[in-house]
Amino acid sequence: MTALPSNLPKVLAIDDSVLIHRLLQVRLQHEQIQLFGATSADVGIKMARELRPDVVLLDIELDLKNQGMDGFGVLQVFKADPDLQEVSVIFISATATMEERVRALDMGASDFVAKPFEIVELQARVRSALRVQHLVKMLAQKAQVDGLTGLWNRTYFDRRLTQEVGEAIRHNRSLSLVMCDVDGFKKLNDERGHPFGDKVLERLARILQTGRGSDIACRYGGEEFGIILPNTVGSEAIEVADRYRRAIEQEVWPSVPGMVITASFGVADVFVLSGTPTTEDFISTADAALYRAKVNGRNRVEAAVAMHLPG
Amino acid sequence: MRLSNDQTTLRSEFADDPDMVGIVALFIHELPQRLAAMHVAIAAADRDQLRMLAHQLKGAAGGYGFPKLGEAAALVDQAVRAGNDDNVIRSRVGMLAAVAARIRP
Repeated sequence: MTALPSNLPKVLAIDDSVLIHRLLQVRLQHEQIQLFGATSADVGIKMARELRPDVVLLDIELDLKNQGMDGFGVLQVFKADPDLQEVSVIFISATATMEERVRALDMGASDFVAKPFEIVELQARVRSALRVQHLVKMLAQKAQVDGLTGLWNRTYFDRRLTQEVGEAIRHNRSLSLVMCDVDGFKKLNDERGHPFGDKVLERLARILQTGRGSDIACRYGGEEFGIILPNTVGSEAIEVADRYRRAIEQEVWPSVPGMVITASFGVADVFVLSGTPTTEDFISTADAALYRAKVNGRNRVEAAVAMHLPG
Repeated sequence: MRLSNDQTTLRSEFADDPDMVGIVALFIHELPQRLAAMHVAIAAADRDQLRMLAHQLKGAAGGYGFPKLGEAAALVDQAVRAGNDDNVIRSRVGMLAAVAARIRP
């Protein structure tokens, strides 16, 4: 089976019997899934790490002959791997006793199907596991999204920026960070009320999402936004920031005719930092540029210049 | 045992399922090789290999529409796990072969 890029959920079957794989291929062919198969624990674990399947059908009595790792062992490996511990595992077995089924569920398996399969039941259990998996993914994503603006939240920003800084250094790729802060937001809130302030943040968030597909716009906190720009050098990032600045300045606020809202921007290129920069260094460098934009009159973009960090 | 005296032919419960026709035919085609492999394992006193072969058949036969074959394979699996002697094992593999012989496409 070839791994075609597809948005269909992935199901990985790990069973030592080719008879079972053939059967699953036929019996699950009308489900909206991509089915992959492995005939040993080792290959199954390797494939799971590469594929990141949504659901794994796992035989308990794997590798009877070589007395190798059984399904319980595979499940243990999954649960110890941060990338795989959320995968829904459906145990399949021809002999499992009640104790074994209980053990499987206690170890974190989400369901159990006996062999020989009742086809309709097997299909229903796979669909059910996929639904649960979909909810788990959605919740995990919700925990990283800002409720007001729909942008990524601070938690996501910190994690993603750390990841991007690491990648940029490892592969010697460019990376820029833009910090953005709404000008006079406190005054705006005081004069127009918090509901209006919220509307401003929502509208600005939408503008910050009109950038290039690769830009990662996040709400950093309060009226401050952070935009991560992978594969982007400082000069390009300045252009991107200035486009946002102009778009915000030109935004029309029908409820307050004639009002102009502006924002200030600080830009930093990861390579203005010397040595091995940390995420905190990167943020504070962009923040320092943002501060200069404020001091120099607001509604402008300032970029960090090469600086030597202590240590 | 009644199983071995029953001479009626067995057809897959899914013989009329167009999705299944191909793999059921392949299953029937490969069955003699699987049984032969069991005899080889008995001759070589390779109980692990025998158990694996019986176990796989036990788990899969029902899925191909041959539950009786699955039951017969389960008896082999059980005997191997219980550590029964070769005579018992041979007789159970014989019963399994008798069920297999009744299978028609």
